[in-house]
Amino acid sequence: MKILTTVKKVVDVELNMHVKDGAIVQDGLQYVINAWDENAVEASVQLKEKNGAETTLVSIGGGDNTDMIRKCYAMGIDNGIHIEDPALNKADSAIFAKVLQKVYEKEKYDLVITGKQAQDTDSGQTGIMLAQYLGLPCVSNVISIEVTDDKHIKVSRLGDAGTEILEVELPAVVTVSDSINEPRLPQMRGIMMAKKKKINEMDLAALGTSADDVGAAAPKSEVIEFMASKVRKAGQKFEGAAAEIAAKVVNLLANEAKVF
Amino acid sequence: MAKVLVVADIKQGVLKGSTAELLSKAKAIGAETAVAAIGSKTEALIPELVKAGSDKQYIADAPGLELFSAGPYAACVADAAKQFGADMVWFGFSESGKASAPRVAAQLNAACATEITDVKLQGNQIEILRPAIANKVMQRVKVNSDKLVAVVRAGAFEAKEGIAGTQNVVKLSAPPADLKAAIKELISDASGEIDLADADIVVSVGRGAKDKAGVDLVKQLADDLKAGFGSSRAMVDGGFMAHNKQVGQTGKIVAPSLYIAVGISGAIQHLAGMTGSKVIVAVNKDPEAPIFNVADYGIVGDLFEVVPILREEIKKVRG
Ligand SMILES: Cc1cc2nc3c(=O)[nH]c(=O)nc-3n(C[C@H](O)[C@H](O)[C@H](O)COP(=O)(O)OP(=O)(O)OC[C@H]3O[C@@H](n4cnc5c(N)ncnc54)[C@H](O)[C@@H]3O)c2cc1C
Repeated sequence: MKILTTVKKVVDVELNMHVKDGAIVQDGLQYVINAWDENAVEASVQLKEKNGAETTLVSIGGGDNTDMIRKCYAMGIDNGIHIEDPALNKADSAIFAKVLQKVYEKEKYDLVITGKQAQDTDSGQTGIMLAQYLGLPCVSNVISIEVTDDKHIKVSRLGDAGTEILEVELPAVVTVSDSINEPRLPQMRGIMMAKKKKINEMDLAALGTSADDVGAAAPKSEVIEFMASKVRKAGQKFEGAAAEIAAKVVNLLANEAKVF
Repeated sequence: MAKVLVVADIKQGVLKGSTAELLSKAKAIGAETAVAAIGSKTEALIPELVKAGSDKQYIADAPGLELFSAGPYAACVADAAKQFGADMVWFGFSESGKASAPRVAAQLNAACATEITDVKLQGNQIEILRPAIANKVMQRVKVNSDKLVAVVRAGAFEAKEGIAGTQNVVKLSAPPADLKAAIKELISDASGEIDLADADIVVSVGRGAKDKAGVDLVKQLADDLKAGFGSSRAMVDGGFMAHNKQVGQTGKIVAPSLYIAVGISGAIQHLAGMTGSKVIVAVNKDPEAPIFNVADYGIVGDLFEVVPILREEIKKVRG
């Protein structure tokens, strides 16, 4: 079985963000692997360990992704492809999905695993669009994957009415939730081995495509401005005897906030 | 006149409030409105769909559509959008909406945006607003397409009274089942409980409650208030709370009048799901807990001590 996993480098969401002149101030920001992609990597490696598989990751953009890709190697990913092209600077999810389609078509995989969304955009579109472009079945928000035979997997996803169990014919695309697993910490041996591994660096031309071909010349949507979010101000905080402060807060809820 | 197709949010046969909210917003921006209702026994919802403000109702009603399956669901929406000539297709905030919107966008060759909180229309230029990076920033997005498929963030739009539409029903043919991603089983969430998305008050429990006894204690507060009972991920991971109770980026986004966070630290991923609430109360024994940065009323204390007193005091004022 061949598994393709998508990995994106994103801004560390734990850090404070500031916006100036319509852009995010870059000072002091750090870039890390998208948390949901880390779950996707873990899911791929677990399938490899259980059923045997060749695992490949692909990452688009992010500049120097060496550290991030090495981390994934150390977790157990076999091969890495990194696509960097200035034409993709303004790409939206649809364009990323088109580029991924080209990557898929070069090698063909049995299963594509992506994170359910990226922490920088919170869009949650790329994996699903990729499946549409490839004409493959797709299940999103997946919390478990089990290989049933050469041609099928059984997955469960969190849906609106509960947990949905689906039988999916391969090849297929799944997008995973953080509830699927707890990503492993790379071990020393893995880290050492990862250093020796190559990363297949490509631009769109090397991938056999072009900006026009993937729609990058005319994105369907573009961010024209970043703005600061409305921040909630800390309100009143009460310390002291529980009986007293709890009574005080209930009183305020009734008479000040008027929610009761 | 722009045309907006709203996809009705139907859960266990019940039409959810977001449908009227989205239709109200569509009317407010001067659009012609239609609604698509997809599922089983959806015909029965027609009067409600009209009342919610739709001027045309695309109805897909088939036993095969009872369980959600993204392929057929998206096919129905795309079919309705084409028949209506929709400029925009809006889904309410739901897992089915998130799973379907990118498919519909790909099928209509439209732009796609999720978690939108506002839409502006100037001529046929569409512009949207949406949070990104776990709500830390807002993005203003220009849509370079004359068509947009969007998922609207929970609580973004308000339903207006008296916007009733007109009945004009179009039946959609049921698409074939998705045999390549076949839904085999649904392990249903416990019914009869208050849906977090609808609740006017939500009480959520976090790791501070420790175990089942702690969870039960906090649940009593929720029950007293007839509130939805939510959870942080820690208590879902711990097996104390069901997945569908999780509030936050991976769970439900809620915007009730009152949100009470009990024993929750206030991780960014949790905050992303509840800072749209009107009033926030936090109970936490750590005065430095980040939840206090967003709480209107913070109670620094041991929840095992505070919660029973809160229940007593609330009984006094609410009778
Ligand atoms: C990709 C990703 C997605 C995620 N999505 C979500 C999500 O959707 N929702 C979510 O909630 N989390 C999510 N998380 C997890 C999140 O980062 C936190 O780990 C989680 O919210 C912590 O839950 P908690 O506040 O209950 O636990 P903790 O952070 O452990 O906090 C427990 C709190 O209880 C307090 N406490 C302890 N004892 C008492 C007592 N006796 N009385 C009063 N207070 C007490 C402590 O002071 C502490 O503040 C996500 C994480 C990742 C990486």
